[in-house]
Amino acid sequence: MNKKISMLLIVLLGIAVFASGCIGGGGAKIVWASTQLNPPEERAFVLNELIPPFKEETGIDVEFVPLSYADLSTRLEAEMSSGEVTLDVVADLHGGLDYFNSKGWLTDLSGKIKELQGRTFIESYLQYATDQNGKVFYVPWMSATYVMVVNKEAFKYLPEGLTQEDVMKGTEKWTYDALLEWLENIYKQTGKKAFGLPAGPKGLLHRFIHGYLYPSFTGYETKKFDSPEALEMWDYFKDLWEYTNPASTTWDAMADPLLQGDVLIAWDHTARIKNAITTKPDQFVVVPVPRGPKGRGFIVVLAGLAIPKNAPHQEEAWKLIEYLTRPETQVKVMEKVGFFPTVKEASNAVPEGPLKILVNGVTAQSSTSDALIVMIPNLGEKGGEFSAIYRDAFTRIVLNGEDPESVLKELGPKLHKLFEEVGVPEP
Amino acid sequence: MKIRSSHIPYLLILPAVAYLAFFIGYPLIQALYLAFTKNGAFSLDTVRRATSDPMFWQALKYTILLAITIVPLQLILALILALAVNGSFKGRDFAIYALVIPLTISDVAAGLIWYTMLADYGFLNKLLLNLGLISEPIHFFGYEYRMMEFLAIVIAEVWRATAIVFVILVAGLQMISKEYLEAAEVFGAGYWTRLRKIVIPMLKPSIQSALIIRTLFAMQVFGIVWILAGRDIPVLAGEGFYQLVEIKDYGVASIYALTIAALSILLGALYIKFLKAEYLEVRT
Repeated sequence: MNKKISMLLIVLLGIAVFASGCIGGGGAKIVWASTQLNPPEERAFVLNELIPPFKEETGIDVEFVPLSYADLSTRLEAEMSSGEVTLDVVADLHGGLDYFNSKGWLTDLSGKIKELQGRTFIESYLQYATDQNGKVFYVPWMSATYVMVVNKEAFKYLPEGLTQEDVMKGTEKWTYDALLEWLENIYKQTGKKAFGLPAGPKGLLHRFIHGYLYPSFTGYETKKFDSPEALEMWDYFKDLWEYTNPASTTWDAMADPLLQGDVLIAWDHTARIKNAITTKPDQFVVVPVPRGPKGRGFIVVLAGLAIPKNAPHQEEAWKLIEYLTRPETQVKVMEKVGFFPTVKEASNAVPEGPLKILVNGVTAQSSTSDALIVMIPNLGEKGGEFSAIYRDAFTRIVLNGEDPESVLKELGPKLHKLFEEVGVPEP
Repeated sequence: MKIRSSHIPYLLILPAVAYLAFFIGYPLIQALYLAFTKNGAFSLDTVRRATSDPMFWQALKYTILLAITIVPLQLILALILALAVNGSFKGRDFAIYALVIPLTISDVAAGLIWYTMLADYGFLNKLLLNLGLISEPIHFFGYEYRMMEFLAIVIAEVWRATAIVFVILVAGLQMISKEYLEAAEVFGAGYWTRLRKIVIPMLKPSIQSALIIRTLFAMQVFGIVWILAGRDIPVLAGEGFYQLVEIKDYGVASIYALTIAALSILLGALYIKFLKAEYLEVRT
């Protein structure tokens, strides 16, 4: 009796497993695995608003499979080695796709991307999507970055020689030293420490250090971590902290402090300041970050779409990519989930309003002539340790006043070892 | 099959034991495994990694410091309040309800409320500025003002969690038979004598449970500290969370969890040993 029941269960389970992969015949069904748009509300947007119009237009059904980077990478590896590929489209950040390509898992899209009509990809993004052999291994899909937000009130206190225009456009005069002078001015005239950083435990301060200050002062994210230029940078940061609101160490996102008027100038991720701008669009402007001696370092988070080698539905997969990179689709993604378009036509198509303020700032930043684009290194599960090293350095040097040289000497080897262990070249 | 009556007690506690084994025993073993092994073999590597980080000792220090500041304050305050509402007067029920309200608020929400109250341009500073008592806002938050952050945490915790001690003490007070107090009064004992000789000794079981609950919660304090001070004032639970979620070092995170567990067990045992409940009935 018991045996029969368990046999029955096994058979049922087998049918269920089999059916889950096969049902939905008729039109083709493609599988789209993504490490992006995975939080529930974003996933709902994909399922209810992004995929249905595509299905209606082409008759192709899409199964959206949200995965973590680790799961996606394991699954691709397994599929590649067994030769039974089930994934048709893969969406991931640049670092991940770069790794997949280095393993030879991705299809060459150089021919196809040229055929795309009515869209111009931002050149630097397309450069990232092309490897040394000239192979385009993914199509740039969405981007995000970190910018500065200025309360218009602050423009009253601009230091001599710096104009509002300089700041908004990111000219040569908009430097970190100019920022310091500006903040000093505000402090002298109002007694306010007007700069804000997300230095709370879940804030993204480490990105400011490794992706903005370090490249702007040393030219690299990690290579010159303990160089003389880095010491200069830390001296600058200590000065900057004098005019930074001390409560910064309790802030995880800058939207609220900006809205409350606790700070007038703040740096943060676009998604984390969006709320301030949508709430009071007349009050704030988004501007490019200042430049340092080595250029204007800033992070671009770039997500792309790729087709694995031997994917079962190559043609249909390409149609999905074509649909997702259309300017009108990109505007929709921007409005709903706050990721920025990768094609120029979409940036121009954003309607006037709060989002336009964001787009203008981001576009101004990415089109500055001294742009020094930085990618977050792909260290997998060691990413946390990487961030912790920069945060440690900040706590010890800026907050505790320890000697920068000895702190960097101690942390430097740890940082370099991290890259060695993972086998990723240091940026 | 007939169940022998001697087996019944075991059968009855079986569900509870199964529950404990699954939801407490299993995670505990997992935590021990994560903390004391490396590549499948016994190793103290993770322990060394956790304890060589000065943050660990800071977290331990601040957790204990917070507990010994907050718990006695709460006990005294709750005792005063409980004695105050123990008599019968008009509006007594309302007073009890009002005092218990903070209990319904989560620690995170309480943290947010006090953050907005004490921020640079929050309610308190605005009030003092407008009254002309201060010319510049008092800074409560930020690494440079850790003393003030500590104070803010104490205020918020006392405001939020005194109510639980209060409720336990009120219940305890109501259990004390009026006859003892009346008898004492007849023999001429004043309020203080009655309080010292009758009320407090008879309240000891309630005080004990209130202290155990409060101290154990103090070991796990997290939400309020996280919101008011971030990691400026590290506490064990907060550092455990940080290691788990941000650094993804599961081993070190388990060390923090195990430290909290060990502290809780130790303190619970100490309370039970040294605060033996006394009943007047048996003390002849």
